Amino acid sequence: MNNIMIGRFVPGHSWVHRLDPRTKMMITFVYILVMLWANNWQTYAWATLFVIGLVRLTGQPFKLYWDGLKPIFWLILFTVILQLLFTPGTPVLFSIGPLRVTVPGILNAVYVMVRFVLIILMSTILTLTTPPTSIANALESLLSPLKKIGVPVAELSLMLAIALRFVPLLMDETQKIMNAQKSRGMSFSTGGPVKRAKAIIPLLIPLFVGALQRALDLANAMEVRGFKDAVQRTKYRILSYQKIDQVAFLALGGFVVIFLIIKTVIHG
Amino acid sequence: MTQAIKIDNLKYNYNNDQVLFDGFNLTIDSGQWVALVGHNGSGKSTLAKLILGLIAANSGNIDVFGERLTVDTVHHVREQIGMVFQNPDNQFVGATVADDVAFGLENKQIPSVEMPRMIDEALSIVGMLDFKDREPHMLSGGQKQRVALASVLALQPKIIILDEATAMLDPDGRATIMHTLQDLKARFGHDITFVTITHDMDEAILADRVVVINDGQLILDGTPANVFSQYDVIHNNGLELPFAGELAEKLDAKPKSYLDERELIQWLSRLNK
Repeated sequence: MNNIMIGRFVPGHSWVHRLDPRTKMMITFVYILVMLWANNWQTYAWATLFVIGLVRLTGQPFKLYWDGLKPIFWLILFTVILQLLFTPGTPVLFSIGPLRVTVPGILNAVYVMVRFVLIILMSTILTLTTPPTSIANALESLLSPLKKIGVPVAELSLMLAIALRFVPLLMDETQKIMNAQKSRGMSFSTGGPVKRAKAIIPLLIPLFVGALQRALDLANAMEVRGFKDAVQRTKYRILSYQKIDQVAFLALGGFVVIFLIIKTVIHG
Repeated sequence: MTQAIKIDNLKYNYNNDQVLFDGFNLTIDSGQWVALVGHNGSGKSTLAKLILGLIAANSGNIDVFGERLTVDTVHHVREQIGMVFQNPDNQFVGATVADDVAFGLENKQIPSVEMPRMIDEALSIVGMLDFKDREPHMLSGGQKQRVALASVLALQPKIIILDEATAMLDPDGRATIMHTLQDLKARFGHDITFVTITHDMDEAILADRVVVINDGQLILDGTPANVFSQYDVIHNNGLELPFAGELAEKLDAKPKSYLDERELIQWLSRLNK
């Protein structure tokens, strides 16, 4: 459970760490968008190359990224199987009843898997190299135009920061409750899906009660330290774009252009 | 002497019908270190929440430095009081140590350029400056509580309330927190008022004054030596004396008044002469 890397930040001084969080968010966003256009193995290869380059630049061991992928393994597998069984087309390799495994199906399954992995890797790069508060700050800054139409951007970004901050804590708590229940004979990994789902209930209830207690405590602690609302506050961390961000945007631009060239030239 | 906190005829019911405080009075002078002791459920933590306006009393008055606590003044009153809570994790708002100290400053709308200096200063007072960029899960419980203390100090409060701040810590963490408090007292002297809420008498002994409460009633009030000499009253209210006090009580020949560990050793070694 402690391997779950969602929202976990690892401090460092790499190039990627030093980028403005807004830059990283925009790169991640553009990258995910571009991935939706990928349609042949050459584009996927290029996109993979880009991510691997970024991963190397973060200076973090690859194991951390692998840990980030593990928790969504089942989701990926599920999607891959769906693609495998339900993609129409020819030639059909073999079929069982209404289910047909086709060549385009296999190709699609592989593409979907690669796409999933790349997108997860990209977002892991963001969360691994950016403290949660910076992510929230970046979001607030990027979404600030929405304030004009009455979206409570400051509140939302503070909520996000606190939610991200409590993810590892709740993970640890889940592990503790699971251990406590295992030590009294509970099993989370045997039996059919119904039995397993039922085993989750006695886990969720103490977890929710604990989370609510934490929320109340945190609200008190915040109020005592002078919190009134999220708007009337100054900021400790001021965001400012540096030269390194310009370089990053140039690199992103280069990536997108080459991606589009590969896509059109090879497709044609 | 100025009164830091004056509680006058306070009434508070728990869950609407259970009476906790029924006409409670307490005055804490500015610059004092008061230990508020009582067993679990005695009402001591509720009292802290009442003083900070986190919950509202049914009737009665609370004045903080002469300012009456009301809906309109609550934010101003809170500016003068800092509070450290029991659970080190549940009061850590920021993603890093520096961010956490900054949280209160941001609320106070301190200009961004002044923050780094103030954060460094507060962290160096509690000896956590080297941990500035660490995240909470990389810290021990005692270190987290020292950060919580720094977060409070950065706001320069006149009163600091510690609500069972060491209850979840190991003995080492507990010792460092108590040590930090003594340092603060030495540094700020009468400019700062401490209220430590605890059921641990070893902590209470460091205070200038010990107030024992039970069921919302004030049971004992005096200097630590004074209060600790009332062995039966302490025990009847579900509390225990510091080790030296408990030991002295088990002796056949008892010392006339409460002695701390060193005094008790001296007293014992003089017995056979």
